[in-house]
Amino acid sequence: MLASTLNLLNEWRWDLGTVFRDDFVVGDIASDDMKKKWNPDGDQPWMDQVQSFNFTSSNQAFNGQWTYDYEGISRANLAISYLSDAAITAKIAIDPALKNRLLGEVYFLRAFYYFDLVNNFGDVPLLLKPLQSFSDAYAVSKRETKANVYTQISSDLAQAKSLLPNSKYSDATDKWRASKGAALAMQAKVALYNQKWTDVISIVSELEGLNFYSLNSNYFDSFAVATEASENEVIFAYDHQSSQTPRKGNGLCAPLDWGFIAPTDNFLAEFEANDPRLLYTVDVPAKAVYKLLGSTNTVYRGNDDAPSNKIYIRLADVLLWKAEAYNETANYPAALLIINQIRNRARTSVSATGTTPPVGTLPDRTVSVDKAQIKGWLIHERRVELGFESQRFNDLKRWKIAEAVLTPAIGKNFKAFNYLYPIPQGEIDKSGGSITQNPGY
Amino acid sequence: MVSARRLFLLLGGAALCAATFRAPLGAQQPTGTITGQVIDSATRQPLAGVNVVVEGTRLGAVTRDDGTFTIVGVPAGTRTVRARRIGYGSVPMVVNVSDGATVSVAFALEKRAAVLDQIVVVGYTTQRKSSITGAVSTVDAADVESRRVPDVAQALQGQVAGLAVTQSTGAPGEPISIRIRGEGTIGNNSPLFIVDGVPTRDISFLDPADVQSYTVLKDASAASIYGSRASAGVIVIVTKSGTSGKSNVSVNYYTGVQRATHLPTMLNATQYMNKMEEAWNNSGFTGTNPYTVAKAQGAVNGLPLGNTNWLDQLFTTGKSQNVQLNASGGSDKVRYLLSGAYYKQDGIVIYSNDGYQRYNFRTNINAALTSRFNVGTNLLLSYGNQDSLSSKGDQPGIIRHALIRPPVIAVYKDPADPTYSAKDPFTDLPFFATPWNNSNNRYEFGANPVALAYFTNNQRNQFKTFGNIFAEYTPLDALRFKSNLGIDLNLRHSKAFYRNFGDVNGVGSGLDVGTGRQNRPTSLNEDRGQETTVTWNNTLNYANTNPIHDLSALAGSEYITNYASGVGGSRARFDYIRENFQYLNYGGLIDQNTAGSASEWRLFSLFSSATYMYDTRYMITGNFRADASSRFASNHQWGYFPSVSVGWKISNEGFMQNVSWISDLKLRASTGKLGNQEIADYAFLTLLRSAGGQFLISRYGNPDLKWETTSQQDVGMDVGVLSNMLSLSLDYFVKKTSDILLPISLPSIVGNVSPTIVNAGEVSNKGFELGMNFKNNRGPVNYSISGNLGTVTNRVEKLHPNLPNIIGDVYRTAVGHPLGAFYGYLAEGIYQNQAEINSHLFGTVNPPDKPGDIKFKDLNGDGIINDNDRTFIGNPIAKVNYGFNMAADFHRFDVSVFFQGVGGVDKYNDAKQITDYDSRPFNHSIAVLGAWNGAGTSNTIPRTTFNDNGSSKKSSIFVEDASYFRLKNLEVGFSPVPTRRLYVSGQNLFTKTNYTGLDPESADPLDRGTYPQQKAFLFGINAKF
Repeated sequence: MLASTLNLLNEWRWDLGTVFRDDFVVGDIASDDMKKKWNPDGDQPWMDQVQSFNFTSSNQAFNGQWTYDYEGISRANLAISYLSDAAITAKIAIDPALKNRLLGEVYFLRAFYYFDLVNNFGDVPLLLKPLQSFSDAYAVSKRETKANVYTQISSDLAQAKSLLPNSKYSDATDKWRASKGAALAMQAKVALYNQKWTDVISIVSELEGLNFYSLNSNYFDSFAVATEASENEVIFAYDHQSSQTPRKGNGLCAPLDWGFIAPTDNFLAEFEANDPRLLYTVDVPAKAVYKLLGSTNTVYRGNDDAPSNKIYIRLADVLLWKAEAYNETANYPAALLIINQIRNRARTSVSATGTTPPVGTLPDRTVSVDKAQIKGWLIHERRVELGFESQRFNDLKRWKIAEAVLTPAIGKNFKAFNYLYPIPQGEIDKSGGSITQNPGY
Repeated sequence: MVSARRLFLLLGGAALCAATFRAPLGAQQPTGTITGQVIDSATRQPLAGVNVVVEGTRLGAVTRDDGTFTIVGVPAGTRTVRARRIGYGSVPMVVNVSDGATVSVAFALEKRAAVLDQIVVVGYTTQRKSSITGAVSTVDAADVESRRVPDVAQALQGQVAGLAVTQSTGAPGEPISIRIRGEGTIGNNSPLFIVDGVPTRDISFLDPADVQSYTVLKDASAASIYGSRASAGVIVIVTKSGTSGKSNVSVNYYTGVQRATHLPTMLNATQYMNKMEEAWNNSGFTGTNPYTVAKAQGAVNGLPLGNTNWLDQLFTTGKSQNVQLNASGGSDKVRYLLSGAYYKQDGIVIYSNDGYQRYNFRTNINAALTSRFNVGTNLLLSYGNQDSLSSKGDQPGIIRHALIRPPVIAVYKDPADPTYSAKDPFTDLPFFATPWNNSNNRYEFGANPVALAYFTNNQRNQFKTFGNIFAEYTPLDALRFKSNLGIDLNLRHSKAFYRNFGDVNGVGSGLDVGTGRQNRPTSLNEDRGQETTVTWNNTLNYANTNPIHDLSALAGSEYITNYASGVGGSRARFDYIRENFQYLNYGGLIDQNTAGSASEWRLFSLFSSATYMYDTRYMITGNFRADASSRFASNHQWGYFPSVSVGWKISNEGFMQNVSWISDLKLRASTGKLGNQEIADYAFLTLLRSAGGQFLISRYGNPDLKWETTSQQDVGMDVGVLSNMLSLSLDYFVKKTSDILLPISLPSIVGNVSPTIVNAGEVSNKGFELGMNFKNNRGPVNYSISGNLGTVTNRVEKLHPNLPNIIGDVYRTAVGHPLGAFYGYLAEGIYQNQAEINSHLFGTVNPPDKPGDIKFKDLNGDGIINDNDRTFIGNPIAKVNYGFNMAADFHRFDVSVFFQGVGGVDKYNDAKQITDYDSRPFNHSIAVLGAWNGAGTSNTIPRTTFNDNGSSKKSSIFVEDASYFRLKNLEVGFSPVPTRRLYVSGQNLFTKTNYTGLDPESADPLDRGTYPQQKAFLFGINAKF
């Protein structure tokens, strides 16, 4: 359910927002980074409404994201119920190590989905086991407080961490499976979103201590299809593969050929001179979003079954969380060290045109003890480092600067109540009103 | 005034008679005897069974076989004697009865026009029309013969008040929807067909020429004998059978041509280029306008601009032919009929990939084994083949692509072009430009519709065996037992080969690099299915012959069992595309699929019906059916469907006998319940599905699922005037469906599951129906006029608390509105200037709208146009359906004319979004030549631009009145001798409509460019030997 595979939920439903996952809509188009299309025509106007914060609760972006997350939770609940059932596990004589690993993976996944839900919607229904009958559905159709959902997320992640094997990959063949590193990173992210700074620092340190991950020498290696097996940075991604039955390819490469997904001028202007990350993210003259295509040419553009992965967590992102925590806890040198580590990797990356950035590109940030200044650098660095990775809007919300940034001046109408998206109207209707709406909608 | 006064006097007279009757009679009152004979005035033959009564007394007699009668004990004095028999006019005679004497009187009864006295086929039996108290309409197949259509559903179009018949599109062999008295439910609204006692839901296999009569059972009284399957009405069809006597052989052949009726006028190449150039200039793009360059050069990339009228290229002349042979005859004991038919149509789209053909063979045998024991059979074999093409919709949407493809592209590539190939000579990507580069200098991506038509290869075959055998035993004259065993055996086969074609555009799945962009990769889908339905019904009929207390009754049982199974597969990437290799094993293994399925259902029923008629004046009919269906959980399997109806034949009252101009007058009223079990099998169960190796719950079951029930009330009146030269039938009905089998989606929090079916919701339909028939002759000219009109008001009364609306793309079903009402923004006009935008959108930050964009009504007045400003913008269910026929014959010539129409209906003309409003570089209709171009220039067509001008919103601007009035049929025949007839026939010759799409007559309320109904000219010959 984390795939960008086209039509994963069996029906081609633009009207429900379920053609593919809507991370790029709710996380990027909503922010100041991404536009719906290079030439904004009348196609898929619901994306424009998210872009301009002119949407209602019927907008399918929210329904799509909600549906994908809860379908994932529903599958995880089913798996957990089977794997925790002594009778079933005895009957199929599953290897205890395999059972623990699989349980660890599904606990991680359930936490991942709930994290996305609380982040987008606040209080959400909390379902932890499969339904027995259709009338049960109405009993669970009520919102649980965000705090309680977070408690469950933390408990699931703790379970995952203890159950998953102590190796970089959970499985030597299926390297894409959720791993111990992913569980740790997710714990750090939860701590970050709850401003538990010391936890962020300690968990990220623990993750680093595993020595599973390091920054790739080239910025693009995390995204390139060619380096998928050899890179060191990706902690959790959805592994798309071409020509599988059933399909596992990246369907988002198809709309990229229909003119979807373009950078805003504001985003392009954020990059410093000669920053190679700009061209790796998007080639404006070629109108090609290389980062999502997984290749610095257009070979996968229009391929609805492309092999390029969807990156959810990579080390650069995690390190910047730690930098942020250091800054918040007034450990400025440690924060700057990480920021400069990220900048160094960027400026030493061979660019998409095969050249090395000129001397003076992306200079190290100078020593500073100004928390606000460092925060500003951090905000900048996250934007250019993680552009189009569906982090920007969440960061703006987390930093409580969304109103200040997403202003009418750039065509946005962000209001205080927009810190939470509306609960999909269909869910309120289908529950007969027992699932309630967020304020403001 | 005169007639009213006369009626008053008559009523007074009736009261006086009653008073006389009540006066005490003396014990020794003198009496006499009346005898006599009744004969038919025309044939002078004696009439048996005539009811002769002495008015004002209880005395009467029934004539014997020789027409004679005797009434004794008639009080002396002047008496009025009246003779009455069904089918004859009633005659009073005044006699003088003296004590102890016998007076003789002779009656010569005149036969009445038989219109209202015919024998009508109703549920499981027949009934005299005069005793029917339900809403029943009959159509004599001979009356619709001149329709010259291949499908019985089409033959019924416009023939019966309250019946709406619409073909889904005009493409050959497309399914046809029939609605009786509106859309009763959210689910299945198709009526039940009973063909020779055997039920079926699909009638496309039957040749109209094999039909003897149609009876449409509209109200609860008529249809409740079919209980759980009758809520959408029942159409009872009796096929032709042989008659005793001389053998008859007949041949009917016709052939004809078809053309599209109405095609919109699109921009030509010059107009298109000017429009696009202007759009570019108005869109705020930088750089050189590529359209200006192309115009100046008359070419793009060195390839000259074409000037193609895609609609003209796509549509051509269609051809159809039909031959029907029939032999029938028989002796006293055995009657037979054999028929064979072949129908073929090649549609109006270029190439022969839109077509339909059907072979039919039928035998009917009826044999009297003894005078009280009959057996018989009807057996039909049918093979139908549809060459199906994408006749509607967006993808691949051949018709839509003909509308949107720019005229500057030629149909075929220049052979000098390096990408030209003899196997695929069609243009595809315009001008073979560099790979996609995201700017708007491309002439659009749509496919070449002519190529789409050429490469379509989609066959749908249906083999059907349908028929019954029956035995009938009559132990007593009044009692008849019938056992009927029916079979409906279907084999379906569909095979579609999607051959790769088109330009290589450098994208697509890695396995298919270097192949054309259409149907990538080449694939084959093949499915086979079979479905068997066996029906066994047993009925016991009782009918007495008492003319005063006329009683008939029916009791019966029915058992239906259905089993369906299917298997299918698909593969892709075929190395060879020739027909010999179009089999699954020649395809690649990646992306292969196989599937299998089976399902079954059963229905067991008990039913009874009784009709009692007192003295041909008062009648009551009751029906009751109990059904047990396997489609419901065990505690809800039984459903009970009662109905009752009453009638008063006023014209048979004594006081009406002097009103000679009224030959028939009957009031009817009925009420009752009907059911609907048309849901998927196993709807009450929880289902699992397999997805990527996992088994997931695909639907939660509802163990409390029960029957959907329709209750219906009907009041009606039948009137015959001037010996039934003119007859009228008028009905008002109220139909309410409750406990609708409603799929409700659970909140998505439980995962992605299909909706669970629950009983919820209520839909009502109300309407008037009027049927009219007039027959007369003036000298050698016989003529008739018949017409019908039905209205229906559809309204959703209730939905489920967890389903306040059923939301579709442009539809919304909600309480207080018709089912599937159109829903969207209300267009108010065009913004004429910036000030108007600023004041209208005062709540919007940086409104992107520009003067010339479509202005939508701000329903909640917040200065923002968003989803909250949508409302109901149209009605998809026709409020009025009507039809009328006129026929005349004069010596050797005959002529018939048939008009049909619908009113009060809207369509969402989505194709119009493309042709008149779209802001992508598609072709447009000439309506855009009047586009907004500065304040005050247009308030209907928005500005020319590549930006969104508001046309992307689903709005009332695309909702059009799709009412039409159409000359469906005109036929002129000439019979040089009575056994030969030559005719010419025209169809859809004239249409009056305000609808701007290709055709207003199609079943889909959302028109994305639909294969239209056609104008046809046919020539035919009938010969009898």
